[in-house]
Amino acid sequence: MLRYNFIYELRLLLRSRWIQLLSLLLLLLFGFSVFNGMGKVEKRRDDIAAARKEVSASDQAMLKLLDSVERGLDVSVSPWTIPSSPMAVANYYPRVAAMDPQPMAFASTGQADLFTHYVKPTASGDDFSLNFTEMTSPVQLLFGSFDLAFVIVYLLPLLIIAFTYNILSSEKESGSLRLLASQPISIQKWVFHKLILRFFWLSLLVTVSLLLVFFIMGIDPLHWNAVFSLLGLTLCYMLFWFALAFLVNLLSNSSAKNAVSLLGLWVVFVLLVPSVLNQLGNTLYPMPPRTLMINEMRLQKAEATKQQDKILDNYLRDHPEYAINDSTQSRSFWHGYMASQKLVKEALAPIVGSYEEQLSKQQDWTRKMQWISPAIIAQESLNSLAGTSTQDYEAYRKQVVQFAELWRAHFMPFLFNNTLFTTNDHDALPQFQYQPLQQNGGIQAMSILLLMALVLLGLGFAMQSAPRQKGILSDQ
Amino acid sequence: MIAKTCIKELKELMRDGRIRTAFLIVIVLLGVAIWISARQYQSINEQYQSAKTTERSVWDDQGEKNPHSAAHYGTYAFKPKYPLSLLDQGVDKYAGSSIFLEAHKRNEAQFSVAADQTGLARFGDLTPDFILLFIIPLFIILLGYNSFTKEREMGTLTLLKSLGVPSWKWALGKWLALFFPILAITALLFLLAGILLSNLQDFGVFNWTSLLMMFVVYIGYYVAFINIVLFISLKVKKSGIALVLSLSIWILACLVAPKAASNIAEAKHPYPTRQEFAANVLKDKQEGLDGHDPWSKESKLLEQKVLAEYGVDSIHKLPFNFDGYRMQKGEEHEAEVYLKHYNYLKEQFSEQSKVYKGLAMISPYLPTRFMSMAIAQTDYNTHWDFADAAETYRIATQKFLNDNFAQNSTYGEWSYRADADFWKQLPVFEYDPPELKTILAQNSSNLWILAIWLAISFSLLLLTTKNI
Repeated sequence: MLRYNFIYELRLLLRSRWIQLLSLLLLLLFGFSVFNGMGKVEKRRDDIAAARKEVSASDQAMLKLLDSVERGLDVSVSPWTIPSSPMAVANYYPRVAAMDPQPMAFASTGQADLFTHYVKPTASGDDFSLNFTEMTSPVQLLFGSFDLAFVIVYLLPLLIIAFTYNILSSEKESGSLRLLASQPISIQKWVFHKLILRFFWLSLLVTVSLLLVFFIMGIDPLHWNAVFSLLGLTLCYMLFWFALAFLVNLLSNSSAKNAVSLLGLWVVFVLLVPSVLNQLGNTLYPMPPRTLMINEMRLQKAEATKQQDKILDNYLRDHPEYAINDSTQSRSFWHGYMASQKLVKEALAPIVGSYEEQLSKQQDWTRKMQWISPAIIAQESLNSLAGTSTQDYEAYRKQVVQFAELWRAHFMPFLFNNTLFTTNDHDALPQFQYQPLQQNGGIQAMSILLLMALVLLGLGFAMQSAPRQKGILSDQ
Repeated sequence: MIAKTCIKELKELMRDGRIRTAFLIVIVLLGVAIWISARQYQSINEQYQSAKTTERSVWDDQGEKNPHSAAHYGTYAFKPKYPLSLLDQGVDKYAGSSIFLEAHKRNEAQFSVAADQTGLARFGDLTPDFILLFIIPLFIILLGYNSFTKEREMGTLTLLKSLGVPSWKWALGKWLALFFPILAITALLFLLAGILLSNLQDFGVFNWTSLLMMFVVYIGYYVAFINIVLFISLKVKKSGIALVLSLSIWILACLVAPKAASNIAEAKHPYPTRQEFAANVLKDKQEGLDGHDPWSKESKLLEQKVLAEYGVDSIHKLPFNFDGYRMQKGEEHEAEVYLKHYNYLKEQFSEQSKVYKGLAMISPYLPTRFMSMAIAQTDYNTHWDFADAAETYRIATQKFLNDNFAQNSTYGEWSYRADADFWKQLPVFEYDPPELKTILAQNSSNLWILAIWLAISFSLLLLTTKNI
């Protein structure tokens, strides 16, 4: 029977031009979205490269200046930017702390349009003055991006719905259901066969067109593991929607009703559940207002400025090595500033930490609740596959803050020993290297999606044994 | 006949269980969305008030200080939330709400809400604008997709034709049957919002005219959708196909077009990255006068000019502190640099807006979205307006401080301290958002696009009704 079904289904699909239409549509959607994603990644790469180039150019200028100063020549720059002063290097010659794109970054924009991909921490700025948001028009952020993840999470289910909503009902509406019922196969099994075959064809189309698009766009070198994860996720997500269509097809037998129910489910899973969960997450774990942090920070800084001399004294008492090594004991603005900055930072640590804490609570909440909507599972795993999820940017932020700390610490001995920065010290400047998060390849997400699909399919078959009041052939 | 058809259609809709459920869901969602937004609105306004007063007292109580130190110490401008944001949150989530105002630097608004949320936030929020823009059009499709196809399918079309009543009459009846429920839901929502807002404490700039205007915009949007759905229902033979087609239009208009537009706009007219922007500004700044650097070429030029103007031979003989004067001139140069670079951003955005307007031809969603945000004062233009007002205030503050420094001290007297009371004399930052008239004038093109949508969809519908 499966063989017959297979042959007839293929003929039907080809004759009704479904396959032709779907291939075209998929190629178009995948092509446009991957093209968009690639454009963004390319811009990101170029921006970072340009920033690095700029730093190396300014380093060359710095070395030249240092050379002139060391040879006792006059230099024509503002006195406080001459790099022989360590604080001038710390403030005017920062390094690029960049987050290089992951190989699959084109697949999902995620938070990439919201956050910046490189910053240059200096000694004078503090961690919370580092602005990690990107300069984008908020309208763009509001509308979001037409990326591969959007096609997969939002549009593919709609294609599946259009492809499957009338499998059984059309037979009934054209009157061929009675003929079908006379065949030695149960209706459930027959619908299942048809759906599995359609799933097979759609999967094939999706796989082929995705690979074709990747090939044409020249995603190179192909990171096969990541590509397989992407395909696996997509297919599991598709299977969920097919299973849902199976259930709906069995439950009601009017095409329009099926379409409405399936679309209702789409609205619930893709639009409503995520926004409700987000809303709930924000209500359960509310972010303290940032204005509060600003006020607190201002008060602390004002206090620190008032007591700068005392703070510096205390700092030096804690670090006797500086008092011993430095014979001049001369103290400038920077000595007091750096010492008090540390204090302000410590005083603000709890309030700054509270944002991170709430954010991670919200993330835990999302992780716990994501099984309510397969759309969330798919979107989140695509984001983490692309390295553009909230977690990725959080990791990057943390690494940058650490690096800024390292950068400052690097100059403290120079400052407090009152030693000059020389040409030889250039090579020892700390460098930033972004460590991407470990990826699990979305195995967990795939298994959850598969499990959901299996449960739905099981439900469909379980209805077979349950006694039904109205037969599938009855008119109403 | 018009009334009869309308009543019959309404009765039929009421009998349908799915529609009753959907209706109920829409009402519940709207209620929840309004309730959540009202709570947020109130708490944000409280935060705004307390932040504003705390920040002002921090400024007032800074004690004896050199005015330029105070300028570096700076102050904050906070963006208030406007009443109609209850209905449309617009871009508020993505635009920061506090701007740090300091010497030599124009800062961007910081701390957007979206940056503090999980990735889930990007799916959207359960706010009234989400329901108004996405869910109600879907509801229209659900109500109207089979309006005409069912007559064909049940064979009643021939019966209807045989009645001898002009077809536009019963078609209008069907149109009205679709329009009334939508009008009722929307009116209910807006009325509820209006009552809620006029009962909230210090609702400031809320006025019913803006609310009414917003209502009209949404009704225009829905009428365009009703026309499209009925047009498809007239043209197509099967209900299922009519449904799928209407939905494709919805997907295209509400999901695909805005996202595609945003991609195209960004690719064509990109913003610089934050770091690039800062680097460009720095480059331009260095080409002019730096108020802190008395040794630069520009400083010397300024010195000569001022000396000639006052007819003295040394800056010590000037009737004011030249340090303060130079500081102010430097500030003015920097303000110009920022003006230039921010104008570039604005230009890029106005180019991007053209892309959005171009794509509005395939999506009535886009002009509605922009109109609604504009009226609610949650759009990008209002944000710019606020940022510009903050910048004007920043420049005035710098002048206020530098003038004090220049007038009350002598050259080289960096140890000068202004009185502890002096800071209170700085006027408070007040911001008035643009009025409805200005907003409508700014967004007239969006209104036109919406009107064109209405005109075209109505004429399509009329033409098809004639030859049913």
